[in-house]
Amino acid sequence: MTSELKGGATGSLDAQDLITEEPSVDILLARAAQGDLEAFGALYDQLAPRVYGLAARILPSQQQAEEVVQEVFLKLWSEGPQLGIAGKSVAAWLVLTTRAAAVHRVRGEHGRGHTTKLAETTLERPPRKTKAKTSLRTVTAGDSVRRSGAAQGEPANPHDSRARTLSLAWLPPPAAVDLLDQRMVLLRKVLDQLPKPQREALELAVFGGLNDNEIATALGEPLGKVRTSLRAALTFVKHRRRAVCGTWAANI
Amino acid sequence: MGCQHLEELYELWLLGAISGQSALDLSEHLARGCPHCLGRIREATETLYVLGLASKPEHPHPRVKSELLRELSRRTSPHR
Repeated sequence: MTSELKGGATGSLDAQDLITEEPSVDILLARAAQGDLEAFGALYDQLAPRVYGLAARILPSQQQAEEVVQEVFLKLWSEGPQLGIAGKSVAAWLVLTTRAAAVHRVRGEHGRGHTTKLAETTLERPPRKTKAKTSLRTVTAGDSVRRSGAAQGEPANPHDSRARTLSLAWLPPPAAVDLLDQRMVLLRKVLDQLPKPQREALELAVFGGLNDNEIATALGEPLGKVRTSLRAALTFVKHRRRAVCGTWAANI
Repeated sequence: MGCQHLEELYELWLLGAISGQSALDLSEHLARGCPHCLGRIREATETLYVLGLASKPEHPHPRVKSELLRELSRRTSPHR
């Protein structure tokens, strides 16, 4: 794995470890929906490494990353049955929910007005509108961005997707995500294949939770250039994903 | 359908990485239930999944699991 990807700790895994055969996540989720804690524990064992890896990439401390893991799995305990009924990927839900929860914290929006307890965390609470500060210019690519400069007391922006509740309708089916997992060794390299300016901007968006305006401030670049970089980077990743999955699928 | 101008925005919108009128336009468009864009958003979640897993998986400390299961056991206990 590349140097800019956090890892290397004793608990790090190879991509192949993500792929498990039995018991399936779907079966474990169905058992957990019946109140089977042992099955939920097995589900945790399969999926927690990717949740923790992502949270640890975004958040500045191990403790915060661990809190997000617990927060997200508690949410899965209550919302998992809906995922099963709707035929949606649990893994995709976990990754998107984890990013949202971690970004929510790193932007300084977690815990305002209430104590942090496992049971009280929700993704539906709208974030406050923020303004980038000049201090963000010191941010380097790959760093998590602490939003100490987040404006307080401003009204929430209803069109900020960081405030948006993840809709089940947006999630892919398990089969689509299974295919991505099988190709993840190739797909994981995609960020390394981007030109540096594009990768920097994309990492600030994905792992820093910044929007285009904030990224422009953080990097000291014109907004137009940042927007172009972000669009080019995401187009590349999308095309790469299609190519890897499509090519391999054609050979099956 | 008139969705061509939104083609490069789905992933950015899901990430919360676009500001201003573009985000507003896509939000309002999706709220009207465009099936084409819903399909694109679903595909965009796959791209975000790939990006999210660019972080190397790591095992959390075993304490995290034990605390989680203890909390769930407490919640599911009939004697709560």
